Amino acid sequence: MHAHSLLSTKETLVRKSTTVLAVFADAADEKVWEQELADIPNIIRLRGGESLSHTLSTLRRLGLEPGLVLISTRVYPHGDHNPLPVLRRHFPAIKLILFSAADAPPLSLSPLKHNAIKHLVVEPAGERTGSAAGSPLMLAVFNLLTDRQWQMADYLRPGTPVREFDIHSSDQKEALIDALTEMVEGDGPELELLRQKGALLADELLENAIYGAPRREGGAKMFRKGEQRRLLPAEHIGFRAGFDGTTLAMEVSDSWGSLPPDAVIEHLASNQDGSGPAEEAGGRGLFIIWRFLDQLHVTIAPGRQTVVGGHVRLHGDDDPSALKGFHIITRQPECAAPHNA
Amino acid sequence: MATVTSIVVNRETGWDAVFVHGNIDAQAEELLKGVEAQVTRHQVRFDFSEAGRINSMGIALLLRCFKNIKEIRQAEITVSGLNTMNTMLFKMTGVFLLAKPAE
Repeated sequence: MHAHSLLSTKETLVRKSTTVLAVFADAADEKVWEQELADIPNIIRLRGGESLSHTLSTLRRLGLEPGLVLISTRVYPHGDHNPLPVLRRHFPAIKLILFSAADAPPLSLSPLKHNAIKHLVVEPAGERTGSAAGSPLMLAVFNLLTDRQWQMADYLRPGTPVREFDIHSSDQKEALIDALTEMVEGDGPELELLRQKGALLADELLENAIYGAPRREGGAKMFRKGEQRRLLPAEHIGFRAGFDGTTLAMEVSDSWGSLPPDAVIEHLASNQDGSGPAEEAGGRGLFIIWRFLDQLHVTIAPGRQTVVGGHVRLHGDDDPSALKGFHIITRQPECAAPHNA
Repeated sequence: MATVTSIVVNRETGWDAVFVHGNIDAQAEELLKGVEAQVTRHQVRFDFSEAGRINSMGIALLLRCFKNIKEIRQAEITVSGLNTMNTMLFKMTGVFLLAKPAE
């Protein structure tokens, strides 16, 4: 979401008049995010801990039904009191966003897997003092409150051209990767590193769509990685990418929708803690995609479509262990593009 | 960077030197499978200075190759010539647990 859309964003959220709860560890935690969350109307700031249940009971008695809960990672999973059971007991269908600063302590995904967290936003340190409308957290709040679908262009400057390619054969992979790297023009080690990241991301995204997505009934893969294949008559794979001078965004869609939503975080968590498939062929693809992107987006319409993508910035965090965000969204099949097969 | 992959094993004094050229992906499977059989020393040095992109399949194949060399040949492995990208990739996927970066 671009800074120029701040006014319309605020107006939209005001019109929605949905209550948003934000749960912090303590006053210092709340202070860090004060400016970031200032543009969210109807926000109620709470502290995690033993008194949370009592506070939520009071809110319910007052008839306040939150549409969204934001939880600082300093409360969960780092804090002593997991607020998720009490939040879900009071508001069973509540949408949750976990948020963290990029420089926050490392975070294990295992508890997030067990608690079915679908949204983790990691806010780059430099942006916490900038325009809230341009931040990944504000974008996530806006999209979840308004049921708006994430768009790749949200992360690019207005007017940035997005190139689209249809894939017909596995033979196109290297040419597409070349086309992507040519979009990142310029000299210097940072631009070269961004080109290399973009090339690897495109490689993994395309391999997943070409070889990982096609499944037989029962779930067995139809094709072996590396084999030459043409797409099936009604199969569709699309590749989109844009570069605005500092941010490279890309996504790949396939028409299978075969990636189980719960398997995404399970895959990320098992590879993060080292219990993943170390030597299994191609078993780390999505993990590598998540690690190199600033924010991973996976949108799945089961049996119809999977879209995987995100963005990476020129001056992003190059620490391989740095925490990265994700959004895992399941869409109803009727909302997705028609399936090929 | 060359995209045609080749892997050359040379016997040096005291170690085997493995030179990796081009991208490491599924196409490199047979080449990497053949490396262990060519190892004769207890020190193996992999040179990645001419290597290109290494994807997740390439990482899986390298891990299998390194594991075989360590277990079957009882050899220590060092890696050199890694660019920034591949260094990050090796760190995040645990490759450095099997092969130490050359000093």
